[in-house]
Amino acid sequence: MIRFATKSGGHTPGQQQRTGPGQEALAGLALVALPVALLLTLTLWPTVTMVVSTFLVDGQVNASRYVYFFSDAYSLANLRYTMEQGLVSALSALAISFGIALYLRFSAGRIATMIHALSLFPLFVPSIIISYALVRFLGPNGLFQLLLEQVGFTHYRTPYLTPVGPFLAFVWEALPLPVLVLSAGLTQVSDHAVEAARDLGAGPFRILWEVLLPQVRRSLLIAFALIFLGIIGAYTVPYMLGPAAPEMMGVFMQRTLGNLHDADAAQVQAVVLMVISSVVGGFYIATMLKSQGGER
Amino acid sequence: MLQIDTISKAFAGTPAVREVSFTVERGELVCLLGPSGCGKSTLLRVISGLTDADSGSIRIEGADMTRAAANRRPTAMVFQSHALWSHMTVAQNVGFGLRVRGLPKAEIAEKVGAVLDLVGLSAYGKRLPAELSGGQAQRVALARCLVVEPKVLLMDEPFSALDAHLRKSLREELKSLQRRLDLTTIFVTHDQEEAMELADRIVVMQAGRLEQFAAPGSLYRNPQTLGVAQFIGAMNTCTTTVSLGQANWYGQPLRLALPDGEAALLCRPEDLYTDPRGARARVTRVIDLGPVTKVSLMTADGDLLTWTCPREAAPDVDAEITLMPRRLHAFRDGALLAQIERPEPALLEGVPA
Repeated sequence: MIRFATKSGGHTPGQQQRTGPGQEALAGLALVALPVALLLTLTLWPTVTMVVSTFLVDGQVNASRYVYFFSDAYSLANLRYTMEQGLVSALSALAISFGIALYLRFSAGRIATMIHALSLFPLFVPSIIISYALVRFLGPNGLFQLLLEQVGFTHYRTPYLTPVGPFLAFVWEALPLPVLVLSAGLTQVSDHAVEAARDLGAGPFRILWEVLLPQVRRSLLIAFALIFLGIIGAYTVPYMLGPAAPEMMGVFMQRTLGNLHDADAAQVQAVVLMVISSVVGGFYIATMLKSQGGER
Repeated sequence: MLQIDTISKAFAGTPAVREVSFTVERGELVCLLGPSGCGKSTLLRVISGLTDADSGSIRIEGADMTRAAANRRPTAMVFQSHALWSHMTVAQNVGFGLRVRGLPKAEIAEKVGAVLDLVGLSAYGKRLPAELSGGQAQRVALARCLVVEPKVLLMDEPFSALDAHLRKSLREELKSLQRRLDLTTIFVTHDQEEAMELADRIVVMQAGRLEQFAAPGSLYRNPQTLGVAQFIGAMNTCTTTVSLGQANWYGQPLRLALPDGEAALLCRPEDLYTDPRGARARVTRVIDLGPVTKVSLMTADGDLLTWTCPREAAPDVDAEITLMPRRLHAFRDGALLAQIERPEPALLEGVPA
């Protein structure tokens, strides 16, 4: 006769191991207790007190600091510039990385491996280095200008200290993440799924639009949210490469606090940026949860 | 209708298809049959335009399609993995080819409805592929091809991922649909039974070459190459030497009107009969398959033989019996030498062993 072991099999009642769900839950809570405590004390509590303090003016509760921010043309220009820079840079990085991911999905060989490695290279380069590199390469009397002059082109206008400077750095820095995410998404699309579309008469554009893009739509949204959040909160790149005015919110905040010593105004700028980030972050989490819910 | 003329294709110097030629008539269902890696799927892809041929030509209704892109050919292909687009509903999947052709929405809806009705899935239009069973998904893939009214329907092992019962019923459905629509069809399979049941004619391929192109019954009864003889159905193969019109068949000399030299003598298990003048063998196993009984035997030289006989004629295990071939297929260098009906035992001694 075959005997199947049970959980309590082989133990006398006194020896029974206690592995009840209550104990497991406690163990789980113990594991997350430290990070949650750190999050509460070092992030959430200061955030809440800071947000509350922005509404306290001379002991009175009012929104006058926000009224000032949203009526100040310079603050609004900075906010608009930050959003525009974030949108344009993130969308451009997505478009370029989608092209790279498409190439990698349908190509093999040494050149594809090389392009893959090159597209991941920015992962290992700190912002400050890429900023200096771009200043030396694209800046006035930089290598690019010298090369152009060698071939007789003397009308070069440097993107340094214009919105194009940070744009180039942001796009370059942002490439690895969407390339990884989109490559993974595109490998889910089988060769046969693409061939079936070709076989039914679809050209490359229709295959891209109707077969490939919908399959990586969620990957695109997630990648966009992550890149956009990184860019609107950036400091080093816009400080090193961006225009003096308007300035991106990171630089604006630092200057308000460091040069103008106006902590209250800097806090308001931070709250505004944080609210925008939370909206995008919420959208990111919703998309993630949806994809974990079984849909691709 | 479809003319394949000396098509060759190699991958990185390794030939996959070698100078294959055949012609398919309108409304005919032709199976490309062969073992894995024989080039049948490559040939199908060459016909569809998904793979370019290195040489040779393809004509569909007289028009040269050899260099036409896949999306310009009047063919449609059903893939083994059904290859439905998971983000589109069944109706959107089926309507894709019509949208590509720029048909008005109302006409697309009408045609999609009609073709879904044809494959028995009219209630499934709004479902996603993930909500379908394997058989339903494959029917949708078929509907997606039928709706564009291809001149040639190409099917690449469409049922091989399905269970045996479902495969059989889908096969019958496909055959009746294909007859009803008078659809010229090329069907790739490695399953002999599937090919024999479905095909009007079968192209047997081996190592990239066309071995034989014939009707299923003809392939079975009159194999023209050793490869086809051994691939289609079961055969007892006896390699021997013919000398002065005689050859040793499992220890029994037979009179054979064949030129001298090495020969492979093949005999179907059902073409054996007991005869006291025949080759002696010991019964090692008897398997009752229902309609017939399969008897495994071993000769004195250790050669294995299979005989299928009616249940009442089956001997006991360990019995010694003598067998004669009713029909022999003789091959030399892979090619058919002769088909010999009711060979007689040789009376003279001295036949080489």
